[in-house]
Amino acid sequence: MKKFLVTGATAVALVTGGAAHAEFPMDDNITFVIPYSPGGGFDTIVRQFAPAMERTMGTTVVPENISGAGGARGGQSVHRADADGYTIGIYNIPGLTVNEVLGMDQGFKLDEVTWLANLAVETYALAVAADSGINSVEDLCALDQPAKMSDTGATSTAAVTTRITFGILGCDIVDVTGYAGSNDAMIAVISGEVNATIKPITSLTKYLDGDGGTGDMKLILTLTTEEAVSGVPTATDIGHPELAKFTLNRVIGGPPGMPAEVVSALEEGLRAASEDPEVTAWAEGAGVGLEFMNTADTTTLMNDLSSFYQQYKDLAAVAE
Amino acid sequence: MGLDALLDAFLSVLNGGSLTFLMAGVLLGLTFGVIPGLGGTTALALLIPVTYTLDPLSAMYLAGGVMGATSFGGSISAILLNTPGTAPNAATCFDGYPLARQGKAGMAIGASATASALGGLIGLFTLLLFIPVAREVVLSFGSSEFFLLTVLGLAAIAVSIKGKLLRGLIAACIGLLLAFTGANQFTGETRFTGGINYLWEGIPLVPALTGLFAISQMIELALKGGSVADDETVKEAKNMRITGVSEGVFAVFKHWPVLLRGSLIGTVIGAIPGLGGTVASFLSYSSTAQTAKDRDTFGKGNIKGVIAPEAANNAKDGGSLIPTVAFGIPGSAETAVFLGILVLHGIEPGPQILLQNEREIYGLIVALTVSAIAASVLGLIFARLLVLITRIDVNIVVPVVVTLSLTGVYVLEGRMADVAVATIIGIFGYLMIRFDYPRLTLVIAFVLGEIAERSYHQVRLISDGNVMEYMLGRPISVILIIATIITFFLPAMRKLPWRRMVGRAI
Repeated sequence: MKKFLVTGATAVALVTGGAAHAEFPMDDNITFVIPYSPGGGFDTIVRQFAPAMERTMGTTVVPENISGAGGARGGQSVHRADADGYTIGIYNIPGLTVNEVLGMDQGFKLDEVTWLANLAVETYALAVAADSGINSVEDLCALDQPAKMSDTGATSTAAVTTRITFGILGCDIVDVTGYAGSNDAMIAVISGEVNATIKPITSLTKYLDGDGGTGDMKLILTLTTEEAVSGVPTATDIGHPELAKFTLNRVIGGPPGMPAEVVSALEEGLRAASEDPEVTAWAEGAGVGLEFMNTADTTTLMNDLSSFYQQYKDLAAVAE
Repeated sequence: MGLDALLDAFLSVLNGGSLTFLMAGVLLGLTFGVIPGLGGTTALALLIPVTYTLDPLSAMYLAGGVMGATSFGGSISAILLNTPGTAPNAATCFDGYPLARQGKAGMAIGASATASALGGLIGLFTLLLFIPVAREVVLSFGSSEFFLLTVLGLAAIAVSIKGKLLRGLIAACIGLLLAFTGANQFTGETRFTGGINYLWEGIPLVPALTGLFAISQMIELALKGGSVADDETVKEAKNMRITGVSEGVFAVFKHWPVLLRGSLIGTVIGAIPGLGGTVASFLSYSSTAQTAKDRDTFGKGNIKGVIAPEAANNAKDGGSLIPTVAFGIPGSAETAVFLGILVLHGIEPGPQILLQNEREIYGLIVALTVSAIAASVLGLIFARLLVLITRIDVNIVVPVVVTLSLTGVYVLEGRMADVAVATIIGIFGYLMIRFDYPRLTLVIAFVLGEIAERSYHQVRLISDGNVMEYMLGRPISVILIIATIITFFLPAMRKLPWRRMVGRAI
């Protein structure tokens, strides 16, 4: 019996050993970890990219939802996986960056992640109700009471962006957090519960004038350096170009210490997938701003973000 | 108002392919509904990757089939095993299970099937009526109304505990404690997590309810032995045909005000994002139990206690589409997944969804309509067979239910910790049964606690601290405040003519 087991084990070792010589990514499926439940923004973009990667890389890509702890749990499971390229993940950026800067233990360090690519970037804007009579940031900051803003959680990326932005502007606000979702937070502006909200431009579009929107809201500032929406002032226009650092990124990474050839194979696979006609058509329809960045640029972006939030650490923290 | 589109949608569902997807959805929904722990959201979440290869309309038929059928499926296990198949069916247990133990399971299933189908239809009809004013409906429910609705819900429970006031309050406090676990939405700080990352996002609802109802009930059954139905009832019924199904159907028509009120509560609660079917069915149950003349028989097998929650539970699907057609936002966990399916197909849900994606929205409405009826008809056909479950030895029932429900809890998010939560709360739930503490108050406090806290803080910030003044300036808030006061004083007013009221807790 023992002899049989030994023979069996040797046979298994031979088979797997042999397969390891095949070139990446041919000897296994690629597991693509999504740190949230099915149906959200992170899930959707991965499920669009996965079949496109299958076409460009010729292997099977399996999306796997590992939700929990604000996206940290999915990141942990990628971190623990073998650095062979068969496990990669999408990361909640800058959410994880902010948490790390604020000293939260997320079970892994972002600077140890092997960054592969950035798939999409969303930029923010400051919106008010169309009929509010508020036409500029000065108007908003000159109300009788501190302006009220709306957000989901106090540690959500939009809430952190809101606190730092108005901290930099030196304008007193009350951020009303606790809305069930970002749509609910925007509806609070329309119904007049709060004065304004900072949200990604792509989410706001449906409530703006034109382009199929309802015209319930208007933008008074975009957190960009160049004009993003015609006629709306930018961060540069109001003298604070640093506000353009606030973006929402769809960043892909893998476990620490991935071999260079595997990294470049994945980088190329993701790049090709981002140009896949089905992916671009989907992004067009769903209003997703695809913006591919290669491995080097993504790594720089992640370091920049980390030092940016470090600089505004005190503003990012939730005031008691 | 798109009536042509609706008619077209009804006609197009008749072509073979669509009906196949719809009926597949119904069967899947019924199955997921019946199995404790697995619910509509799980079924839809698992379906997302499958719908990727379908065209959007077929995906809608499949999703609608599932959504319309799960809640009726869940009522079957609530009635037969005192184990709600899905969270909103928890309220159905209170009278459905006593009926089953009296050998009237057929009647209860008949009533549940009919109330589910009719409730679903009333909800969808209300949706069609509300489409022109959907915007106003959504905009008039702000943080203030959210808070007051949760207070109304908590008040209704406090009143319905009757004899077990202290035990009920203790259970409610434990419910609040569980609800407040996790990150505070205002300070970002974590509470009661004991340093466990898993608890950052709070105690998840489905594992908690599965433990509290399914696991605890299975422990109780396993220790008791025998079968669900009383031995005597079984002996009596052995030579009898299982009847009562049609009696249950007629009961719904006889108690049509209960059906209507349940459907209305379901539609309204469904229309408010964040409050789900669980709140709807509990509010419907407690308001029926409180206002009924024969309220003392509630909890002991009153058929109205089955009709009320099931009507609300199904009507909420129609209601939850009100915010969707108004602003493209989900009104329930199920509609959230449904909107996710649209995004997957490159459609961005927005306020113009009804104009731009008429086909998909009407397709979903048609699917929900057909599904509500089809699930109930299937249920009625198989009711006689299903009732036999109550006569099976618990030594067979318990392992099957425990395995299926814990698997269901695991499948939803793929977290072993969820299974641990279900097990721990299951043991705790058994202790509650054993020492006669009401689980109902715990659940209500657990479901409403977090929303109550969150919306209260919001009102405080929005009103610059003048909470009462702000609330009194809003008409719907005033109505809710009056309803809460009536809820509190109704039992006292009733007591006046009689010296002592005989009543036992649910």
